[in-house]
Amino acid sequence: MYPLLAEITGNIASALGLLGAAIGVGLIGTKAAESVGRNPGASGKILVQAIIGMALAEGLGILALFLAK
Amino acid sequence: MSLAKKFFSSVAALSLATSAMAEGVSPKASVLFDLGGGWRITNSMLTGWMISLVIITLILWAVRQPKVLPGKAQSVFESVLEALRDLFEPIVGKKAFPAVFPLLVTLFIFILIQNWSGLLPGVGTIGKGHVDAEGHFHLTQPFVRPFTADFNSTIALALISFGAFLIIIFKYAGPKLILWDLFGNKADKKETPGWLYPILSLVFLVVGFIEVFSISIRPFTLSVRLFGNVFGGENLLHGTGFFPVFYFMELLVGLIQATVFTLLSAVYVGLICNHGDDHDHDHAADGHAEAHH
Repeated sequence: MYPLLAEITGNIASALGLLGAAIGVGLIGTKAAESVGRNPGASGKILVQAIIGMALAEGLGILALFLAK
Repeated sequence: MSLAKKFFSSVAALSLATSAMAEGVSPKASVLFDLGGGWRITNSMLTGWMISLVIITLILWAVRQPKVLPGKAQSVFESVLEALRDLFEPIVGKKAFPAVFPLLVTLFIFILIQNWSGLLPGVGTIGKGHVDAEGHFHLTQPFVRPFTADFNSTIALALISFGAFLIIIFKYAGPKLILWDLFGNKADKKETPGWLYPILSLVFLVVGFIEVFSISIRPFTLSVRLFGNVFGGENLLHGTGFFPVFYFMELLVGLIQATVFTLLSAVYVGLICNHGDDHDHDHAADGHAEAHH
């Protein structure tokens, strides 16, 4: 059993950061889809807001992936 | 206990076997020709040039001489441009739109075709390698590698986008508006209490520095986002033996990442250049925009 556990490698700090980014992007996507369902006419503006939010959330995930030691 | 040990050791052996069978794509592009003096031609660069040549010849051949009454091929490209214009114009704003639109269309088509070129048969699977003791073939130097699966090329794309962003905001917004947009106090002086206004100024100043930092890491995040998605997709496809479901997912990811890269470039320009004139598209909104600041 122990050799298998020893083979699991990686960086917990960047994994947690990426998990947070993934959750954030998922929440933004859900809300964007919901709000387009409520008001299809505003889909263009909602898309922009959603893209900005996703970019910010994802940017932190990328920083965690590359800068975490 | 011994049963569990046996089970886990067999699982470990299985995972080792699969990892030997389907090893990952190397994160670096492999060098095809070494020209000396640090100049190298990698497989990724070569694919990028080839696909660019294909795109250029295809569009030149399809459109030839643009006519007022478009032929079949020309009307296809015109409808693509119309769709993109309707998407980008409200984001960028009327003022900077003519300058930024050609760049956005070029980025979109280029990244889209380069992403999808990674899904062609033979890309990343034909190349030099060696045969190990058990007779398995290991590919070490593929001849063809998708352009956007190389970090250097996505950095180049992001730097182009960022440089154009700087030029366009300085031309269409001007240094004064940029500084006000970053550090200035956006609170309405009539509606905020007098004692609050200086405090708000300080808050906006600090927020401005955070904003400058987040702008300065934009080329990095843009390039890593594109590279990570395409390279991860390549790894996924190679690891699963080009399973059809993942292949379809990679088609979608290629389209979405091209859209995201282009939309983000548009949004970055629009955040600074698009002030006030997004409420009334049809009226001449320049007066409003000028009165706004």
